[in-house]
Amino acid sequence: MKIGNVEVKVSIISIGVFVFFTLFLIVASLYSPEVRSNLIWLIPVLFMLLVIPVALNYMSRSQYAELEPEYERQAKTVRVKLINENMIGKIVRIDGVVERVHFQFLNRPQYSVADRSGAISVKMFTSPDEDIKVNDVVEVLGQVIRRYIVTGEPVVNCVSIRKKRAPVSNDD
Amino acid sequence: MTRSEGTIQSGSNNQRYLEFAIPISSFGATLIGVLIWQMGFEINFQFFSLGCVIGSCLLAYLAWIRPKKDIVALSTPIYAFIFFVVPTDYMSGLTLQLLYAISLTLLLIRLKHRFGMSHTAVSLGKELATPLKAYVEQNPDAFTGISPDAAHRAAMVISLFSTGEYGEAARVVTAITGQQEIPTAFPYLTRAFEIVHEHAIILEQSLPRPETYQTFLPEDEYLLANPQHLEYSEDRKFDTTFDNALLLLFSVAWNNAPADRLHLLTCQQFILKLLAE
Repeated sequence: MKIGNVEVKVSIISIGVFVFFTLFLIVASLYSPEVRSNLIWLIPVLFMLLVIPVALNYMSRSQYAELEPEYERQAKTVRVKLINENMIGKIVRIDGVVERVHFQFLNRPQYSVADRSGAISVKMFTSPDEDIKVNDVVEVLGQVIRRYIVTGEPVVNCVSIRKKRAPVSNDD
Repeated sequence: MTRSEGTIQSGSNNQRYLEFAIPISSFGATLIGVLIWQMGFEINFQFFSLGCVIGSCLLAYLAWIRPKKDIVALSTPIYAFIFFVVPTDYMSGLTLQLLYAISLTLLLIRLKHRFGMSHTAVSLGKELATPLKAYVEQNPDAFTGISPDAAHRAAMVISLFSTGEYGEAARVVTAITGQQEIPTAFPYLTRAFEIVHEHAIILEQSLPRPETYQTFLPEDEYLLANPQHLEYSEDRKFDTTFDNALLLLFSVAWNNAPADRLHLLTCQQFILKLLAE
């Protein structure tokens, strides 16, 4: 679904919650006259279950879209090995291969991206523009943060992850 | 035994006691509660959940002091509060406390196996890790005569690289090589600075690897940490050359600028990654 220039994606969890409560409401309204009398406000509330995640996704994606040019300007291309805890807050660009993908169904994907020097966790707090899968060659733009904000190893808080057409050098 | 080793040993013993204290406090308090009830004193069984709460706090503490954090163990005090804040009767309280104590014990085993050891003098930045120490102490004679000022500049370059300030690192190297501060007796040091300078510019401007680039000479090999293998691709050779140059500068700084050692220790995790080929 596209709102303005922003491609909005609703997570499967949000759709699942909406479908579950819709079915629940249908069944309840068939058996209970009390529920039927309250449908006038229950149906809008039901739709809010879909509208709120869509609105949140729209807001986060448009925010990320605004940040991307600035990150593009500031980012330095580094090897994964060079990222360390003294670089917290720095904006980096890494090129690598996606080794693992987690939590994509929550619209909060977490990738493990590896280059020839090592692998690093890449967290994204919204859905990416493209559908990123394992073994895709990608370019990641993001900021180095700690895994749990104040503690933990360095990870990349991703603002943009894009598939690269040219493969990264395959070696060793 | 040095003072630092003694402190680590004592810290390790304390942690062992804390690890034992988790199942002892969580199962023990519930067991005491059962015994008291058997004796006919029907005190509110919720009070005996205190052992589980204490066990959760100890587990969270043990998770906190590890370099690699376990979010599940860290959050157990919150769960203890949620589970035990509500008053329960004897049977359900007993079941809940026993299940909780079993969970804490399993989480403790998981913490020990999956999240490694607690902080050491190395992870706390108090001393060099063994492989790095072995490397910097490998050729002390080779660095005799390098001025503390040149070594201090090397420490600055390491620090700037670890923080991602590549442009600034390039400027510092230009200042050193431009003012000819490095004695001619140490050509490998000049080469290391030149290699680092080239990489600093490439990183700062996000440039691709050049076709030809600065390298060490075969006579420098005995000073280098990571050997260059013939089967390496050109990209990897390029990276290894850079890693070796930074490691060599670290070694020079460590041996010839003792005042900068504390600062160098803060860059240790970064340098160790370069060493781990």
